[in-house]
Amino acid sequence: MSALGIAIGLRIAAEGKPDANGELVTSHPLLPESAEIIYGGIASLLIFWAIYKFGGPAIKKGMAARTERIQRELDAAAADRSAAATEAAQIRTAKGDIDGERRRIMAEAEQQAAAVLTDGRARLAAEVADLESRADAEIAAAGARVGDELRAEIARLSIAAVDHIVTGSLDDATHQELIEGFISRVGAAR
Amino acid sequence: MSDDRIEGYARGLFEIARAEGSIGAVEDELYRFARSFESSDALRSALTDEQIPAAKRLAIVEDLLGGKATPTSTQLISMVVGAGRGRDLPAIIDRLVARASSAQRLELAEVRSAKPLTADQQTRLAAALAKATGKQVNLKCVVDASVIGGVVATVGDTVIDGTVRTRIDQLKSRL
Repeated sequence: MSALGIAIGLRIAAEGKPDANGELVTSHPLLPESAEIIYGGIASLLIFWAIYKFGGPAIKKGMAARTERIQRELDAAAADRSAAATEAAQIRTAKGDIDGERRRIMAEAEQQAAAVLTDGRARLAAEVADLESRADAEIAAAGARVGDELRAEIARLSIAAVDHIVTGSLDDATHQELIEGFISRVGAAR
Repeated sequence: MSDDRIEGYARGLFEIARAEGSIGAVEDELYRFARSFESSDALRSALTDEQIPAAKRLAIVEDLLGGKATPTSTQLISMVVGAGRGRDLPAIIDRLVARASSAQRLELAEVRSAKPLTADQQTRLAAALAKATGKQVNLKCVVDASVIGGVVATVGDTVIDGTVRTRIDQLKSRL
């Protein structure tokens, strides 16, 4: 029984039948009169039918719209969740890529550093060897130059001394000895 | 001077010397004078300078040779210098000496030494050169201080060098 039927029934029941004093008296404290129940029931049924007839489609439409909205919200949430999961996967992938790239860059940097170090050591060793070689050559050249200069100086001094010594040592006897020696050698030549 | 003119002067001087009968002494004196002329810049410039009057150049010749050489030699040199041919004096004298040697069928042998050779040394050297070269030589001795010591003899294309100068040069080359 609907609230309206109950209210109508209670009203009718409350009104009851007038007693001897002219006052309305109900037959039962809780149950209304039978007619009241019938009327109330029919009224309730009419009300329920009217509600079903006229309010049902709207309610159904509203419920369908609500269901559809909730479904859309669920679908959107699912899509958002999926997108979030995809993004999270991408982020994880990117993170993985970043880690891999970082490791690759680090490895490459270490490789380049090792190569630079090796190359630098080799170049340094070559430069040191070249410097040593040049230094040895310069030392040898300087030694040879000093030796040559010394020999040249000795030769120059010797040459300067030879004329003076030889000329000074040639007296008449020596001149005659040279002339006689020449004549003897020429005479013995053939 | 052209070659013909030099030859002409040489022939003329040779004939004069031969006519004077002193060709041997004259060619010897002329040869030594020619070598002195070549080695002395002052003598060469004095006898070849056109700015110096011929009389003065002849006086220089007279001062140099007067009393030291035969009159024929002095006059022959004076003649060449006076004619303004002083510059060609060595060439003329060399031709004269070559002609004289050729006339005697001798090969000219120039001998340079730091000290003069004695007559005996010249005789022995001429004999030695004749023996060494197989030719009789007309020895012309020149005192040349640049040889320092010893002797160098040139006979035709043959040079026999026994000078101290050459030995010193060899020593210097080795040094």
